[in-house]
Amino acid sequence: MSVVIISSDRYHKGREIAQKTSEALDYALLDREILETVASKYNIPEERLRKSLDEVPSLLGVSSKMRALYLAYIEEATLAGLSGDRVVCHGLVAHLYVLGVSHVLKVRILADPKEVLRETASREGLSEEKAAKLIKRQALERQRWSRGAYRQDETGASLYDMVISLSQIEAEKAVKTIVEMAGYRKFKPMTYSIKCIKDKELATKVRATLMSYYPDVRVRADGTTVVVETNALKREKRKRTEKIKELAGRIPGVDYVEVHVVHDLLRPAAESFR
Amino acid sequence: MNDRLDVLLLDDEPIVGKRLKPALAKIGCDVEVFEDPKEALKRLDEKTFHIVVTDIRMDEVDGIQVLQRVLNKSPETKVIMITGYAMMAIAREAMEKGAFDFIAKPFKPDDLRKVIAKAAQALGKPLDLGSVSGNAP
Repeated sequence: MSVVIISSDRYHKGREIAQKTSEALDYALLDREILETVASKYNIPEERLRKSLDEVPSLLGVSSKMRALYLAYIEEATLAGLSGDRVVCHGLVAHLYVLGVSHVLKVRILADPKEVLRETASREGLSEEKAAKLIKRQALERQRWSRGAYRQDETGASLYDMVISLSQIEAEKAVKTIVEMAGYRKFKPMTYSIKCIKDKELATKVRATLMSYYPDVRVRADGTTVVVETNALKREKRKRTEKIKELAGRIPGVDYVEVHVVHDLLRPAAESFR
Repeated sequence: MNDRLDVLLLDDEPIVGKRLKPALAKIGCDVEVFEDPKEALKRLDEKTFHIVVTDIRMDEVDGIQVLQRVLNKSPETKVIMITGYAMMAIAREAMEKGAFDFIAKPFKPDDLRKVIAKAAQALGKPLDLGSVSGNAP
């Protein structure tokens, strides 16, 4: 019983396929409904979380620093949902941070470009020519978003186990294909893959906690051991290490915290421009 | 009737067999340990084991070949793959070819005991792990 992550170049198309797939497999659907819980847990307007998933940082929108924090909160909730199996996940950009987990089947749905053009022109009241320009601009913006947020180009086919073009395969057949593929033995959870996702879950939980204090932290987990990397001046090293150990050590599931302080102060500055 | 499980353990690092054999014996397994895959294959031709635990990366014969050989002869045998070079592609390949489970090294003896218990359950020969605690083999 695997986990299926569905992403699409068109949110609503991806959601439709994800919902039908979850029904066909009798799996739970993990989608943006969890944002309400995240918003209430961290006392953030839900709209800000949605913007962090959809929009590139801007002066009037969400800053890159806050986007990174909000995405960490969303990842934390998503990974908690994915740590069981029998889940179809959509709309939480999990295809960009759930990497290397063998029982996760990742599917990219490409909407029919003609349908997208027609819908955009009608929704926006534009000529087809102007609608085509708008679609192109949105696609470039989305690429910028995924590169900025996760250093990945989500349009790259190598991120996925399967890419389905709805201009060639109709939605119902796409669902059937996904359901069939989810049943393959290679997507069966195993001790190793379950550990991979649990390690990611714990690392993200720690990162979400530490980021409010140290936005640059990078965290990885192995079982109950957590390794945190952060940038700081030499004179801050001891204080920061102690604080990180204290904060991370309080998180359930963490037995040991190792902190690596890196004296590379240009990195955070460079990252704030992403 | 002998309720013990016959387990073949193959790993080219001697320390692995040395540590795991007593850990598995405690939960009712009769364990034969091999470091040389060719010797292990010879033994597998002679005897059918309930469970085979094999490393993946070894010289001459790799764990995937062992897996296939075991399942060709005895499809009901549960094969558990262990490796220090765990990666998604190899994990998927092992599962696709019929592995029962896949564990990344390093692991604690208790982790393997749990997987062996799952395999025993699937074989209809449940083990009682209740009497074993801690991770020391």
